[in-house]
Amino acid sequence: MNISVTINGTTCERDVEPRKLLIHFVRDDLDLTGSHIGCDTGNCGACSMIVNGQLVKSCMMLAVQADEAAIETVEGLSDDDELTKLQQAFKDNHALQCGYCTPGMLMSATALLRANPHPTEDEIRKGLQGNICRCTGYWNIFEAVKAAAE
Amino acid sequence: MLLREVGYVRPGSVAEALAALAADDGARALAGGQTLVNVMKARAGSPDVLVDLNGIDALKGIELGGDGTLEIGAMTTYSEIVASSEARARPILGEVCAQIADVQVRNRGTIGGNVCTNDPTNHLPPLLAAIGAEFTIQGADGSRTVSAADFFLGVYFTAVGPGELLTSVRIPAGRSDGFAAVTLGVDGTCIASAAASLNGHVRVALGCVDAVPVVLEPAAADADAVRAAVQGASLDPPSDVHASAAYRVHLAEVLAVRAVQQAQGSA
Amino acid sequence: MSSTTTVTPEKTAEEQATWSGQSVPRKEDRRLLQGQGVFVDDVKRHGMGFVHFVRSPYAHAHIAAIDVSKAEAHPAVYGTLTGEEVAALTDPFFQIASVPGANVKDYALAVGKVRYVGEPIVAVVAETREAARDASELVEVEYEPLDAVTDARHAQDDGVPTIHEDAGGNLMWHGVYEWGDLDAAFNEADRVLTIDELHFHRFNSTPLECDGALVEYNRGTGQWTLYTNNQFPGFAAIMMGPAMRCGLDKLRFVTQDIGGGFGNKITSHPQLVACCLLARKLRRPIQWTEWRTDFHLSMSHGNERWFRETEVAVKNDGTLLGFRTKALDDAGAYLRYEPLGGVIWAQVTPGMYRWQNIRVDFTQVATNKAPVSPNRGYSRMQHLWFTERVIDIVAHELDLDPVEVRKRNYIKAEEMPYTTPNGCVYDSGDYAQMLDIALALIGDVGPRRADAEARGKLIGVGIGSTLDSGTNNFGQSRLINPELQFSGNNEVATVKLDIFGEIVVTLGTTPQGQGHETTAAQVVADILKCSVDDVHVRAGHDSYWNSHAGFSGTYASQFAVTGLSAVKGATEMLRDEIFKLAGAVFGGVPPEALELADGGIRIKDNPEAFLPFMACGAIINANNAGLPEDLGVTLNCRYVYRPPFQVPDVEKKYGNLTLTYAAQVHVAVIEVDPETGYYDIVDYAAVDDCGKRINPQIVEGQVMGATAQALGAAVHEVFEYDEDGNLLTPNFYDYHVPHALDMPPLKTGFVESPSPFTPLGTKGMGEGGGAGIHAVCAAVQDATGAIVTDSHNPYQRVWHLLQERP
Repeated sequence: MNISVTINGTTCERDVEPRKLLIHFVRDDLDLTGSHIGCDTGNCGACSMIVNGQLVKSCMMLAVQADEAAIETVEGLSDDDELTKLQQAFKDNHALQCGYCTPGMLMSATALLRANPHPTEDEIRKGLQGNICRCTGYWNIFEAVKAAAE
Repeated sequence: MLLREVGYVRPGSVAEALAALAADDGARALAGGQTLVNVMKARAGSPDVLVDLNGIDALKGIELGGDGTLEIGAMTTYSEIVASSEARARPILGEVCAQIADVQVRNRGTIGGNVCTNDPTNHLPPLLAAIGAEFTIQGADGSRTVSAADFFLGVYFTAVGPGELLTSVRIPAGRSDGFAAVTLGVDGTCIASAAASLNGHVRVALGCVDAVPVVLEPAAADADAVRAAVQGASLDPPSDVHASAAYRVHLAEVLAVRAVQQAQGSA
Repeated sequence: MSSTTTVTPEKTAEEQATWSGQSVPRKEDRRLLQGQGVFVDDVKRHGMGFVHFVRSPYAHAHIAAIDVSKAEAHPAVYGTLTGEEVAALTDPFFQIASVPGANVKDYALAVGKVRYVGEPIVAVVAETREAARDASELVEVEYEPLDAVTDARHAQDDGVPTIHEDAGGNLMWHGVYEWGDLDAAFNEADRVLTIDELHFHRFNSTPLECDGALVEYNRGTGQWTLYTNNQFPGFAAIMMGPAMRCGLDKLRFVTQDIGGGFGNKITSHPQLVACCLLARKLRRPIQWTEWRTDFHLSMSHGNERWFRETEVAVKNDGTLLGFRTKALDDAGAYLRYEPLGGVIWAQVTPGMYRWQNIRVDFTQVATNKAPVSPNRGYSRMQHLWFTERVIDIVAHELDLDPVEVRKRNYIKAEEMPYTTPNGCVYDSGDYAQMLDIALALIGDVGPRRADAEARGKLIGVGIGSTLDSGTNNFGQSRLINPELQFSGNNEVATVKLDIFGEIVVTLGTTPQGQGHETTAAQVVADILKCSVDDVHVRAGHDSYWNSHAGFSGTYASQFAVTGLSAVKGATEMLRDEIFKLAGAVFGGVPPEALELADGGIRIKDNPEAFLPFMACGAIINANNAGLPEDLGVTLNCRYVYRPPFQVPDVEKKYGNLTLTYAAQVHVAVIEVDPETGYYDIVDYAAVDDCGKRINPQIVEGQVMGATAQALGAAVHEVFEYDEDGNLLTPNFYDYHVPHALDMPPLKTGFVESPSPFTPLGTKGMGEGGGAGIHAVCAAVQDATGAIVTDSHNPYQRVWHLLQERP
């Protein structure tokens, strides 16, 4: 099926099988490998993206479902080479170690801060609940999001 | 992780969707995908055609009637229920939806998908059974509305037959509700759950202990009466890696009492 | 959320001016934050074939027949590989064990038999991932199922099926360790406590990224290049080369970013061999992505261990005199790194305590479960859990305060370096001080207890104290098998000045988030008196850099010692060469008259005589006519760090097995709902001492992550099997790891007791999180009043313990 997606502001048209997951489409067909796959049951959130303004797990959607959609991934967070305030806050607070969960975590934090610019720690935890991290224990990630919200 | 080949259609109306479902025995409705896509990844179930309901406006929306009744479109997401001011007419709905998994799941997962899947560990079947929800099903022959008892028929099995769709869920007016669960981690999958409604009756529905919600009507809303009702149900739940049958039976009793106490507190 | 208390030795003004000891922001972060990291699944090659492994649905079965013809006929399939081919093309993997484990035959794919659910049997390679998956369903395998062995305690019973016929039974290894005088100890005891059975459960660290590889084969040179996330390429090469009948230099390992390892990415060599054979057979690059379910079914489960018939000799005041126990370890279906787990625990034989008389009868058996291999805390965690359980059970039975029993028996700071009964040398540490700090961080639990009781809840407080032994002496492998020719350890680094004066560092390690690029740069910058920004550390690992040795990799808590000491050595070599070069260029100035400063070198008394690094690099590389013949300067320095070890005494099982001993003391406070057994961790303190901390923020990150994993294992995480050998937790839906809402409040504390044995005073760290499991077990025991005998305490178990309350 032919689909057209606008990803990080650029429109791409591709022919895809209906069975292809959105995460595979983005990683394999569009060569945007920043979003990752960490599980096969939709539990880990490493594939999290913003689709039409909503945070979703892209492994739980088919690429064909994103036809005509606007998609934001980690690659689109900063326009140039500079780190955004959120990314800098992650760096300052050592909120990443291996970096594998980080793109998904950043997208979830981005969605959270758009909806709630000054979240409490409980709201931060709730907003990141769909993103598993095995390296940090999350505490520094909470601090990073708080710092970015200030 | 990798799906079998499947066809895909995205109808714009309920009529188109019904036609697509009727046209192929192997056609299945795709709602939020938060269960079905997992099933397809594991290749535990592989429809021939997916009928994507996400483009059908008629299946969305929450209406609050003058009598306090809520009509919720089947494709309404958990996030939409949480955010809806209309849904606050029955606060337990948003409170329970907010506990389901995480933001990403809540943004896509739907009330219709949750009840039509009827996984014994799902939150909404016992909740809706307890509060007396009704389910409107549409097929080629027209539509009908059934009670929870007639809707939830077995594990992964409901009154929605082949070629049919759940179009909406009707919630009666009320506010004295409770829901209690023990979950696998905070906001995780339910190990045991209980919902209670004290709106002119005493009704408790237990999740996770049988193929369908076990609905009980204790003689009164006090702890002893509730426990007696649970014991009288002679529960025979499954044992699995998360809980033995005996532990589930014990939790059912405790959670039923707590759900009722919550309902009393929320009056 | 968290607060930090730090106790460090006084720093001189000079020490304060160094990069080491500062929380320098990480060099790795920019690319990772921008989604520009290169993880193995990000690597693509034109024409690559995607491999899918057909895996066994049976825990134990003969393979009667395999028919791949239908799969091969699939239009998108490039080819397949079966166990029969593997058996013809390769030799069985080298076995660490002595007989009987030595006779196990382990290949890249199942040969003749399957021995665990999820074992790879056939590989199918196709044009797309989906097609490989589809075609795998066309592979026909005929099985003759056998009964499965799923309980290690019965693996040696009469009539139980034998998993490896070549080994003659399910016993893989057995050894008896005994030191001191057990009879005297038990005679002297006021009481002998018996503990029937203690059980440490099976789980692992489930790194978010699973294993994977992209393997290319160069037909002209016979060279394989493996882009992979294996975290111990030294070990993988040693296993793969002989099996594949090729020299180790034919196996080039390249890694860049790895999404977590925790030990669980050490034993992917069977799948890597399959990929290598396929790359050669099919003449195209082979891409392997391991999915979550594959990983849970087949990769690197942590050791499940029972401690049975334990007897502890104690005095009435809680002084520990000795113990004997029978340890039973479940290795799973194959020995992939085992039976090293049978000796590695001995690095911490007495735990943190002054036991002198110890006997451990250690048996390891095979079962029809996933093969065991290192998991964070590998084998020491199990043993330290045992010692902590003993302490708390002694305290319980003698009605003594667990704090007092610990302090009475802890090895004291003034006894350091301390030689344990089996000859290991604990380098430094003040365990009692750490316990005091941890308890102070928690504060008075009284008010919390009163408040909880008013709400009908129970409070429990528990201590978990543990050691993270780091930098292995591989000579301990001879205690498992005296014929092995391994001993010592090593790590390599190179540091060079390039033509334009760039400082370029290569490591032999394979970091998975520990910040090696950053901490290495800190060490280099201190020696060369430049900025960390001037030091470029290449990301990841590449065999072609010739910057590795036999034991290279990132595992076993050692980078801060082995990796950084190699960096230090190489940088000091480079520094000395810079001095020599400058001395010659300045016309014969001696080194003591020169100093490094401002990104170059100058004459102390005449700072205008300044040679920037750029000039040094340019002279040696591009403008070297006229230099003295015997100058001996290349500005490209390679250093091999070798820790000072001896081969242990195999007869007495005596000798130093690890160079450094970081320590952890954790305290957990839990609130239990007695009606359900549900509990929350309501307060938590983690105190860590890993010697000199090069980057305190990175160290704290490791402490936090290890703690989170331990708490997950304590409450939720378990690899549980049914009696047919089916894994009941094969994915993240059923195997619950902690999410954001699960995290308790955390307080951290740090002590720096430098190691006298390491060039930088550092100790390896990162594996001490097991303390969290010990602390939670102790807290559950405190809350319920029932003796905790299992490391895994989900709500249901706590509820059962509550029913046991008198």
